Amino acid sequence: MIDVQHVTRRFDGTVALDDVSFQVHPGEIVALLGPNGAGKTTASRIIGGILAPSVGDVLVDGISVRKDANAVRARCGFVTDQPSLYERMPLRSYLGFFARLYDVAQPDARAAELAKLLGLDDVLDRKLATFSRGMRQKVAIARALVHDPPVLLLDEPATALDPEMSQMLRAFIISLRARHRAILLTTHDLDEAQRIADRLVVLYKGKVLRTGATADIRAAGRPTYTVTFAGDPATARDALARAGIEAESASARDGLTALRFAADDPTAINPAALRALLDAGVRVVTLASEERSLEEAYLSILAEARR
Amino acid sequence: MKWWLIAWREIRWEVFLDRASLLRTGVFVVIPLFFVISNRGISPGPAGDATLIGLALQSVFFPALSGVALIAATFSAEKENGTLVPLLAAPIRDFDIVLGKLVGMVVPVMVACVVTLAAGYGLAAYRYGAERVARALTPELLYALIVLSLLYLVTTGSVTMIVAARVKTSRAAQQIAGIVIALSALVFAGVGFLASQIGEGWPLLALGAGLVLLDVVALEIARRVWNREEVIGRV
Repeated sequence: MIDVQHVTRRFDGTVALDDVSFQVHPGEIVALLGPNGAGKTTASRIIGGILAPSVGDVLVDGISVRKDANAVRARCGFVTDQPSLYERMPLRSYLGFFARLYDVAQPDARAAELAKLLGLDDVLDRKLATFSRGMRQKVAIARALVHDPPVLLLDEPATALDPEMSQMLRAFIISLRARHRAILLTTHDLDEAQRIADRLVVLYKGKVLRTGATADIRAAGRPTYTVTFAGDPATARDALARAGIEAESASARDGLTALRFAADDPTAINPAALRALLDAGVRVVTLASEERSLEEAYLSILAEARR
Repeated sequence: MKWWLIAWREIRWEVFLDRASLLRTGVFVVIPLFFVISNRGISPGPAGDATLIGLALQSVFFPALSGVALIAATFSAEKENGTLVPLLAAPIRDFDIVLGKLVGMVVPVMVACVVTLAAGYGLAAYRYGAERVARALTPELLYALIVLSLLYLVTTGSVTMIVAARVKTSRAAQQIAGIVIALSALVFAGVGFLASQIGEGWPLLALGAGLVLLDVVALEIARRVWNREEVIGRV
C-alpha cells in the first residue's frame, strides 16, 4: 500500500508539491491526473524512492521512504513513458541484469517467465534495438515486474502505443489489480483513467484539488438533463425560460434538436420543464439525465481552480 | 557487490560493442607505438634511458586518456537516453552506481594500457636491443607506471563523472572531458618531467603519493556530489 503523508517538495525555491496526501490500497488502481507541471512525475518519483520529500513522508508497504529508500525501491516497480532500454543487450540478458539488481532468487528463470507472460518468449535472444515501440514498452513493464513488487508506479505507460497495444496494456494492468497490486497510474489520457481507475487524485500546481472514486468525481456538480424534441429550438428555450429554467444547446441526432439544463432538484424541475415544453407545443421525444465524461468533470475541476 | 553487476554490464555490453569507443581507444593505443617505432635512435647513457622511460610513459598514459572520454560518453549517454532512470529506481546505493560505472570503464582501459605498454616494450626491445631496454625499464618501473596510470584514470574518471552528472548532453560532457584530458595531460607531463629531472626513485613515488591523495579527494567529492537527487533533476 502507498500512503503519501503531507508531502512537500521544493526545487531551488520552486514548490513542485505542496502538502500532498493520498493513499493507494492493494488491489486498487488510482489515477494521478493534472496538467503539465502539476507535480505528477515528482510525486511518483518520491513514492518510488528516487527523490526525497522536502517535508512529509511516504510509506510504501509500511516502510518510510525517508528512513529506508532502498527498501522502498525494492518494493516498487517503475514504468516511465519512455521504455529507456539498453539497446545493445538481448532481452534475456537485460531482464536477467535487472533481476540480479533486485536480488531475485533465480534471475534467468524469472526473465524467461516474464518474457512468456508478455508474449516475448520468441525474442528472448534478440537485441532490444530491434524491438518495435510496443515490444519495448512490454520490456519496460517486464523490467518493472521482475521482482514481483507489491506497488506499481506507471508514469504515462501507454504513450505512443497504438490502440490495440493500449488495450492490451489496460487489460494487463487490470490483471495486476486482480493480483492485489497497489497501482498508481500517472496519465494525461482521461479515457484510459475513466476505464480502469478506481479512484482519482487531481493535482494542480502541486496541490491536490480533488480525490475520490472515479464515479463520484464524474457525478460531482449539478445534475444535468438533456431534452430532445422535434421543433423550433427558440420556442423550446423560451418555454423553459418562462418556467425559470435556463437551457443551452446540446448535440442531438436523427434530425432532432436537444437542449441541456441543470436541475438541482430534478423531482420538481423536470416535470415543470416537460409541462412548459408540451404546453408550448414542443414534441418531446426523450428527457434523460446526462452523465458527465471524466474529461468534462476534470476540465470543470481545473476551471474552478483557475477561477 | 551490485557495483560489479553494473561494471560487468558496462564492459560486456557497452564498451566491447561500441565501435566508436573501440576506435577511439585503438587510436590512443596506436599513437604511442608509432612513437616507439618512429624514434630515430636512443643515445647511450642517462639521456637515452630518459627517452625510453618517456616512451614507456606515453605507452601507458595515452590509452588512459581515452578512458576519460569513455567515462564521459557512457554516463551522459545514459542520461540522454533515459536509461539512468530505471537504474536509479533500483535498490542500489548511489556509491554502487558510481563505483560500478567507474570500474566498468577503468578495467577495459587498464587492459588497453597494459597491452600497449607490453607492445611498446617489445617493439623497443626489437629496435634498440633487449638488454638496453631491460636496463632502462626495470620491472619495478613498469609496475610503477601501471599503478600511476590506474591512479590517474581513477582521479580524472571521478572528476569527469561529477561533471557528466551535472551537464545535460553528451556533447557538453565530451567537451569537458576534453578539457580534463588536456589539463591533466599537461599537469602530468610537467610533473613527470620534473620528477625525472630531480632524481631517481622518490620523485616518482611522490608523484604516486600525490595521485593517491587526489584519488581519495576526487572519489570523496564524487560520492558527495553524485546523488540520485542531483542526477534525476537533470534527466
